Amino acid sequence: MNGREGGFALELSGISKAFGPVRALDGAHLALRPGEIHALLGENGAGKSTLVSIAAGLVPPDAGTIRLAGKPMAFRGPRQARRAGIALVPQHDLLVEAATVADNLAFLDPAAPFLESRRARRERVARVASALDLDVGPPDARVGELPVGTRQRLEVAGALLTDPSVLILDEPTAVLSPDETAALFRALRARASTGKTVLLITHRLAEVFAAADRLTLLARGRTLREAAVGETSAEEIGALLLGSAEATERTGAPEREAPPADAPPAGGVAVDGGGGGTGPSPALALRALRPRGSAAPPVDLAVAPGELVVLLSIDGNGADDLAGAAAGVREAEGSIEIGGRKVRPGDPLAYRRAGGAFIPSDRRAEGLLPDLTLAENLLLRRPPGGLLVDRAAMAATAADRLARFGVRATGPDARAGELSGGNQQKLLLARELEPLPRVLTAIHPTRGLDLAASADVRARLLDAAASGAGVLVVTADPEEAQAFGRPIRVVYRGRLSEPLPSGTPFEALGRRMAGLAA
Amino acid sequence: MRPLQAAAVAAGTLAAAALLVALAGASPLAAARALLDGALASPAALGETFARSTALVLTALGAVVAFRSGVLNIGLEGQLLAGAAAAAAVGPAVGNLPFIGRLAVLLAAALAGAAWVLPAAWLAERRKVPAVLSTILLNLVAAAGVTWLVRGPLRDPAGDYPQSRPLADALVLPPLVPGTRATAAVVVAFALAALAAVVLGRTALGLKLRAAGLSPRAARAAGLDDVGLRTGAFLASGALAGLAGGLEVLAITARLYDPFSAGIGFTGIAAALLGGMAPAGSAVAALLFAALGAGSSALQRDAGVPSALASVVPALAVLGLLLARGRREAP
Repeated sequence: MNGREGGFALELSGISKAFGPVRALDGAHLALRPGEIHALLGENGAGKSTLVSIAAGLVPPDAGTIRLAGKPMAFRGPRQARRAGIALVPQHDLLVEAATVADNLAFLDPAAPFLESRRARRERVARVASALDLDVGPPDARVGELPVGTRQRLEVAGALLTDPSVLILDEPTAVLSPDETAALFRALRARASTGKTVLLITHRLAEVFAAADRLTLLARGRTLREAAVGETSAEEIGALLLGSAEATERTGAPEREAPPADAPPAGGVAVDGGGGGTGPSPALALRALRPRGSAAPPVDLAVAPGELVVLLSIDGNGADDLAGAAAGVREAEGSIEIGGRKVRPGDPLAYRRAGGAFIPSDRRAEGLLPDLTLAENLLLRRPPGGLLVDRAAMAATAADRLARFGVRATGPDARAGELSGGNQQKLLLARELEPLPRVLTAIHPTRGLDLAASADVRARLLDAAASGAGVLVVTADPEEAQAFGRPIRVVYRGRLSEPLPSGTPFEALGRRMAGLAA
Repeated sequence: MRPLQAAAVAAGTLAAAALLVALAGASPLAAARALLDGALASPAALGETFARSTALVLTALGAVVAFRSGVLNIGLEGQLLAGAAAAAAVGPAVGNLPFIGRLAVLLAAALAGAAWVLPAAWLAERRKVPAVLSTILLNLVAAAGVTWLVRGPLRDPAGDYPQSRPLADALVLPPLVPGTRATAAVVVAFALAALAAVVLGRTALGLKLRAAGLSPRAARAAGLDDVGLRTGAFLASGALAGLAGGLEVLAITARLYDPFSAGIGFTGIAAALLGGMAPAGSAVAALLFAALGAGSSALQRDAGVPSALASVVPALAVLGLLLARGRREAP
């Protein structure tokens, strides 16, 4: 912290930033040395993106100082930061899809003249590609038609046009294949060896320990750990990360003891073998399924009736996409079968018709209709009544289900948007679990819920499995995965591990999630 | 919209209109009196108001059905023209059997209105072209189409003006009360408003339409066919506007001429906005705008105020409404 090594390339100290009532950063510290690859780690919401946005002049800090090569700076905007030598490659590229590679690179070049011939633009592409040894695609190709890896290299090349002293990359490997990742890291290492600094935001510990020199770990807006990679271990950092994840995921205080897992009685009707009676065909079978646009390998996965499978992964490793593809809300290639019946990928209605139910990760945007009443949300697909909806029957059915699923609300006519997160999730369960589906896909079903509500949701999912449904659950929390007491499959970069027993130690799960064990 | 806010919008609209009248060199009070006389004071005036409300109510319903399902159909004007053109084409051909003839005319009008939606619906769902753009452009195509039809294929060879052949007298709807222009078309429009209110508010279909309009993504994830719902509502919206055009021909004009509509489809959208995107409120707002239109000729005659001023009022009301809503929804 004292610059004893003869000065930092960039040092941010005492940085605080609040967005309304949310304290994104609270005295955070980040110091980068010349010639190093530095990794910035932290869970979702730890403040990584805010911190680099401040460094790149996109967001002004509330408090704290920024020193570039020892000189205090106060950026009034990203252009100024760029001119001073700090370039940021955003997580999702900001390229113009309808324009060509040559045009995009010209847009990214602050030195580009106001008027420039097409030839000059094409020549820039050739120059950059050879100087940086980056394949940025053919100059006349439209960016919208390029693969994500190429688009990202193009964005990196654009950032390097000014030869910045500090290059910041926000989650550059999230969309890359292992080969592309290796190539990117080679290019970054070459850059660091010339005395320039690279700051890398990543979730993936394996990458940090393979490619970075030093690391900074943020948790809830503060710097938790700064270390050289050699001074620490993946185990230590993994434990710190997971510890901070739990703290952020479970902010709500538990109101009561978690109920015992011997689930409450729900309308459990055993599923009769279903599709054709040719033995026990799986409730859900994915064959060579691959979400469209994903760099991950195709996946095979089967969930038997009565079985609950937990997919455990850090966000961005493709578990959400895979589950979304299984439920038809994401376009995908490959085959999906439900109860032995083929279901067209990318068609949520076909998934529903085959007996599928779905709990999306974003319950407000994709799960519920916040402006409709609880009763309307529950009975959206088949409201009771004939020509006209039977409102009395609708209210009665809804009230009954709300009571059985423990949704606390003023009544069936309340708006879904007025409920707390836990009650919204219970409402979704009440809609999706009755009548009992053949298969249920649930993505982060307990995210943001307090302990009691989480335990209740888990009990409902286990109960659905006990009644004969096949259940596929995605979670990012190893403790949650263990709590189901069912086989766990860790997803890392789209690849599934073999089923692990639920008793697998926490640390072992963490290592696999970070890609440290095959 | 809260009552207080509605009152504020109404007061603001009146104040702005009074200011414009004063600027035109007339007394606002005299103008208001002339307006009310022209719109309400006699059976003929009242009949004129109701007659004018027909097409406004139907296009407002078209806007409500589309907007509530998540489709911004700005092409009601063009769909109305398509309906009127179809009515004027079919009308003279069906002879003078009142029941069958009228049914055929109205069916043709509704189908033509829906057909005018088809390209926009296809572009929206298959090519992600915003319906706002495609329907606005189709308005221009429809207006040009009417211009061509009345000078070309549909031109009445007996007349001096570019207009279509008239419908048989037996087909044209008679006034409900002699001496007025109000016909059964008015009843049809308000009956459809009641039907739309029931369908949207009380049926399973209405619930699904509203869900698809509020969040296509959530509706789809919940297993609703959002594309089908949206497309169906879009076509129904076009059919309502087409019917408005057909009834205009059947009840009032008996033929097609150019220009046929002075922005009825747009005033209908204004009525739907002012009516809170609910069928009942929109019908009331449409009636209000129709009264303004009916009173506007008296405005010129009795108060010396340009009648065009009356058509400014709906625009002022909608601007006031958007202003009030914008204030509420700003963070």
